[in-house]
Amino acid sequence: MKVLELKNLTRRFGDFVAVDNVSLAIEEGEIFGFLGTNGAGKSTTINMISGLLRQSKGDIKLLDKEINKNKKFAKSNIGMVPQDIAIYEDLTAHENVQFFAGLYGLRGSELKNRVDEALQFVGLTSRAKDYPKNFSGGMKRRLNIACAIAHRPKLIIMDEPTVGIDPQSRNYILNSVHKLNEMGCTIIYTSHYMEEVEEICSRIAIIDHGKIIAEGTKEQLKAIITDTKDIWIGVHSPESLNISTLKAINGVNEVQVDEDVVKINSRADVNNLNRIIQYFINSGIEIRSIDEQAPNLDTVFLTLTGRTLRD
Amino acid sequence: MKDVLWLVQNMLRILFKSKKSVLLTLGLPIVGIIISLLMYGGTGTTNLHVGIVNHDSSRITTDTIKFINGLSHVDTKTVSPRTAKDEVAEGTLDCVITFDKGFTKSVESGIPDHIQIASIKGATVTGFVKSYLNNYLENIASFSKVANGHIDTYNQLYKTYQQSHFKVKTGTLKDTSKNKEMTYQTIGYLMMFMLYSAINLSGMITREKEGRTYFRLLSTPINSRKYVLANILTNLCVMILQIIIVIVVMTNVFHIHVSVPYWEIFVTLLLFALIAIGLSLAVVAFASSTSSMGAIENLIVAPTSMLSGCFFPIDVMPETIKKIAHFLPQSWLLDTINKLQEGQHFTGLYLNVLILLAFALAFFLIAAYKFSRNNQVSTFL
Repeated sequence: MKVLELKNLTRRFGDFVAVDNVSLAIEEGEIFGFLGTNGAGKSTTINMISGLLRQSKGDIKLLDKEINKNKKFAKSNIGMVPQDIAIYEDLTAHENVQFFAGLYGLRGSELKNRVDEALQFVGLTSRAKDYPKNFSGGMKRRLNIACAIAHRPKLIIMDEPTVGIDPQSRNYILNSVHKLNEMGCTIIYTSHYMEEVEEICSRIAIIDHGKIIAEGTKEQLKAIITDTKDIWIGVHSPESLNISTLKAINGVNEVQVDEDVVKINSRADVNNLNRIIQYFINSGIEIRSIDEQAPNLDTVFLTLTGRTLRD
Repeated sequence: MKDVLWLVQNMLRILFKSKKSVLLTLGLPIVGIIISLLMYGGTGTTNLHVGIVNHDSSRITTDTIKFINGLSHVDTKTVSPRTAKDEVAEGTLDCVITFDKGFTKSVESGIPDHIQIASIKGATVTGFVKSYLNNYLENIASFSKVANGHIDTYNQLYKTYQQSHFKVKTGTLKDTSKNKEMTYQTIGYLMMFMLYSAINLSGMITREKEGRTYFRLLSTPINSRKYVLANILTNLCVMILQIIIVIVVMTNVFHIHVSVPYWEIFVTLLLFALIAIGLSLAVVAFASSTSSMGAIENLIVAPTSMLSGCFFPIDVMPETIKKIAHFLPQSWLLDTINKLQEGQHFTGLYLNVLILLAFALAFFLIAAYKFSRNNQVSTFL
């Protein structure tokens, strides 16, 4: 089931086209990575999805309902974790979550239970009565998340939720994203940390100059920029290596020996690693290490946009 | 409406959690009353200090000075012509009466002359003494007409007059002018504090935009109209509280009698509350940040309050300033209060009420127009 569907989504500010005919669909249970440099159109798209901004053209459907015609429904089913920590410093952690949850119509014991649940989820139960000004950056980020999930949204939009925090809090938040996903939430995740996106996202879209330039799983994205892979095998004594036998293995294009490392270039779509390893065993060449030199998302992004994500 | 009330509750909670806000919002209007008391208080029964310069040491002059001294709430003091001006200028004397040589003769001839009264405080001070003095001098001058030039007859009439006893029954009217002035000035200060307080509360919109909570709020089922409505209601609650506090403290703690039914004062100030909220929203709509909001606030509130007569009565200002004041809502509110104190009925002041409502409407419309055009590109990119 499609949780979110964008069709030809466009947003203009005067002559400037911030989002240009963006179309994509996000299935239920996905963690969808949304990548783009600053000004690429990422935030504008998110603002349109979350109802902050009206599109100039195109359709946005949430759970099969047009969001502009069903604003209350759409907003009630979206949880927004903004990039900036948007909480009240003058209210306690509990009061913050309670206030935002109350805006979704929750009251009484249901509100109390949801607030407690959200605070527990982000690990702030013991600090519920404390003011955010006494919190670390990571704790504020966690409270920022709690304020977005207390009303149990179907779709959670997380805009750079790990910016400027310590590795421990970062791991906590990444684990929380996994947990929320396991609990049935669909998540749109944006980050400048490519390794985070690579680690947690099941599907990724890259937006540049307002247009989606690539979309798919990590593997599909990597395949866009190259159809080969490099396998580096560290060996004890490569003297007995027969390069032509190795080249005869299906998919192997090139073999080079660089001191104690045998560098094999192979077709990416052929799974031949077992046969290559078997060759070394049969030849009596001791394997010390195996390293598959596949392109990472950084390379993909750089190749597709000409810039790194942090540009 | 439930979600609007939820927002109002939260705004009030944030406001009253800060001791500084409580002090500024509820304490400052009381400070306004205290300032008015310091300006006008302690003047319930004032004595008039009159300096006497006597260049005509004769019997009639001495008797006239005795008469002045015998007036209630009047102290006399003989001063030299050299120091008289200085003492008036310093304020130790309210006025100086100079009896020039020839005063007695002028009285005896039936046309009192050679007497001068000088003050820098104007008719409010000299009028009181003048009225008694004129009456007294007219009486003794009229003897010369009766005596028809016979000095002995005149002396006899004058002696009889001086020795005669009159039974005069006096009654004291309560002087309400001070209370009215204090009420007027207290309301002047209250208006200024209401404006500051309204801009501070509406400024919550700007602060929330800067803190990004505003955008988070708009991603919930709340829209911008509901949010602004909640801000207006919060502002109104606070202003009503301020008005009630001022009326209660002014009448029950400081015992200032406003001379106007409380509900009329309340309704009039409520009209001003609407103006203050409208103006504060317009300020917020035009301000791009909290610092620019502060600058606009300083540019508007204190100067317009001063020009409207919130700090001192507008009567002392030049005509040009008085004309400018007609374009300021504070002066119309003070005018309404003034007319109510003069005994005019509230329903008869429909023109003032309409003008005040027009000010409120104009500010709300300006704010609404500006808010609708505030969707800056930078906000959303």
